Amino acid sequence: MSVTATHTAPVEPEPTDPGAGRMTRLLEAVRNVAVHAGVPVLLALVIGGIVLAATGANPFAVYGRLATEAFGSPSRINATLAATTPILFTGIAAAFAYRAGAFTVGVEGSFVLGGLTASVIGSQMGGVPGPIAIVVTLAAAVLAGGLVALVPALLRSLWNVDEVVTTLMFNFIVAGLAGWLVQSFFLAPGQANSSTEYVAESAELPPLAPPGQTNVGLIVALLVLVGYFLWMRYTTIGYEFRAVGSAPRFSTAQGLRVRTVIATGLIGAGLIGGLGGGAHALGVVHRYSEGFSASFGFTGIAIALLARFNPIGILVGAILFGALNAAGATVQLFINLPVQLIDILEGTVMIFAVATFVLPRFLTRRRRLQRGGAA
Amino acid sequence: MIDAILASALTLSVPLVFAALGGAIHRQAGVVNIGLEAHMITGAFIGALLSGWTGSWIVGTIAGVVAGAITGGIMSLLITRLHGNEIIVGLGFNIVTFGVIGYLLRSVFGVSGTLQPEGLERLPSLVIPGVADVPVLGAIVSGKDPLFWLAILAVPVLVWLFAHTRWGLRLRATGASEPASASLGLRTAGIRDGAGIIAGALAALGGVALSLGTVGLFNENMTAGRGYVALAAFYFGRSRPLPTALACLLFGFFDALQIRIQTSGGFSADIVSTLPYVAVVVVLAITGIRQYARSSRKIA
Repeated sequence: MSVTATHTAPVEPEPTDPGAGRMTRLLEAVRNVAVHAGVPVLLALVIGGIVLAATGANPFAVYGRLATEAFGSPSRINATLAATTPILFTGIAAAFAYRAGAFTVGVEGSFVLGGLTASVIGSQMGGVPGPIAIVVTLAAAVLAGGLVALVPALLRSLWNVDEVVTTLMFNFIVAGLAGWLVQSFFLAPGQANSSTEYVAESAELPPLAPPGQTNVGLIVALLVLVGYFLWMRYTTIGYEFRAVGSAPRFSTAQGLRVRTVIATGLIGAGLIGGLGGGAHALGVVHRYSEGFSASFGFTGIAIALLARFNPIGILVGAILFGALNAAGATVQLFINLPVQLIDILEGTVMIFAVATFVLPRFLTRRRRLQRGGAA
Repeated sequence: MIDAILASALTLSVPLVFAALGGAIHRQAGVVNIGLEAHMITGAFIGALLSGWTGSWIVGTIAGVVAGAITGGIMSLLITRLHGNEIIVGLGFNIVTFGVIGYLLRSVFGVSGTLQPEGLERLPSLVIPGVADVPVLGAIVSGKDPLFWLAILAVPVLVWLFAHTRWGLRLRATGASEPASASLGLRTAGIRDGAGIIAGALAALGGVALSLGTVGLFNENMTAGRGYVALAAFYFGRSRPLPTALACLLFGFFDALQIRIQTSGGFSADIVSTLPYVAVVVVLAITGIRQYARSSRKIA
């Protein structure tokens, strides 16, 4: 049996009409994303609602409570934005690779190793001035994240080895490796559960509105998002990304640097994922411990797919999932609602984000006839 | 010592073998099943629940398998009919399934993570008189549960099914080239759905082997990534039944060794746990490079 390689992005990127003006183009993109994302989100709410109703809870009351807990007060908005930050990074990372037609599921691994690296190096930064400590630590996290993606990227670009499975496997390899590293080298003394020491105060990312947890990491993430937009829109290699991602064979024939693009996509996703892990370590948890990533890498996949790689869509998707995570954590304190509801919603969104909903055949035929009659 | 490790390696391999064979069938039909973990945990949960309610391990096992077939079918429909990417659907399906089971445990059963149904009947262990006392051999074949023997039986049966039945041929044809099979008039989506249902049922049987065989209760983390190790196993065995089962045995042996070493201290369980996944990357790399070399020779 042959090993197949995934050559195309898991979903079509949102189409843009090159002839239209900038403003209408933007509106068109927003409309497309809303349509593509609206259906999965709605379906997820319906399925979550069924589970809620089946167990005797009132779905509308629960969803209302979730909304209040996510956006009801400045401190809740702060919590939502704090929860948005890590998945904004992983969402951009996933979109970056998918746009190039490289289908990574390994951002989770990059996030974890980036977080561990930042925690270990950050804890050695006592006495180093803040900006230097932060830059050095984050740079190390970025490198670590890229390192996780290196082997799958080389295998894929040089020999066409399916990157989906290798990146998935690397998540598990990194998880084991991280556990071993912490257990044997970086264990904080006197800790029952396996975690590293706290990072030095100088290496912590300052909060934006204390005492809330939203921190400078959000600004970094937004800058990366802008960078993603500029890369895709205005650079030569960004153009090649889009071409290779939507038509790999045609791009090969046209002499585009397909190998470079795919390797860049995979490694770039790793670098961004590593930065996300580093920012999460320095900004929120201040150390690495087991369960460092609450599947942020996988949530990032869902966000990238929902947004169809559109930067504004990524931001909106990240805030949506951030709101879910932040609200889910507190809602279970008030009403007796298991936090697993959030997983149900998230997984459903992920599934339906890649599903194609085809209109029943007779409807499409009638529409075609109508269109033909009008012309 | 070697007796104990061998015996526990065999026991630990049983859930893997079922899940991996299910994955292999699905892979032969052309779909990489990332949802094995979800089907396993479903089988473990429903199996434990029904065995508890009825006090019969047979009912529990059958119910678990049926539940797995249903989840396998649903997941397959999402892939074949709604054209969802198999990897994303699989990952999402795992998240949803674990979410639903975790939610039910807390909201309906009022427990956090572990469910010990009263009256749960475990799988009986079959002691073979005469052989039981023979060293090594006794540890290998005596005192195993029925699913152990079913797992052993499943391998040759599957080899035969793949090679000599119409179902096997059509399945492999669909996996080898979907458009070609479709042009011959095969209902490829239906064949894939069938494979998905079987994959779900077999993985669920693996889950039953965990909850009713090994421990006798249900824990929401009891699969502990075995679905992904099974994925590794059928990649390792290139979806052929015997090599896949042998890969499971190898991973089961690592697992048993690691438990043994862990209790005596010294070696890292974390590193051992990564071995199956490293093996997959190596195997994929070797086959990929070989194939690449072959195809570039052909062009030259």
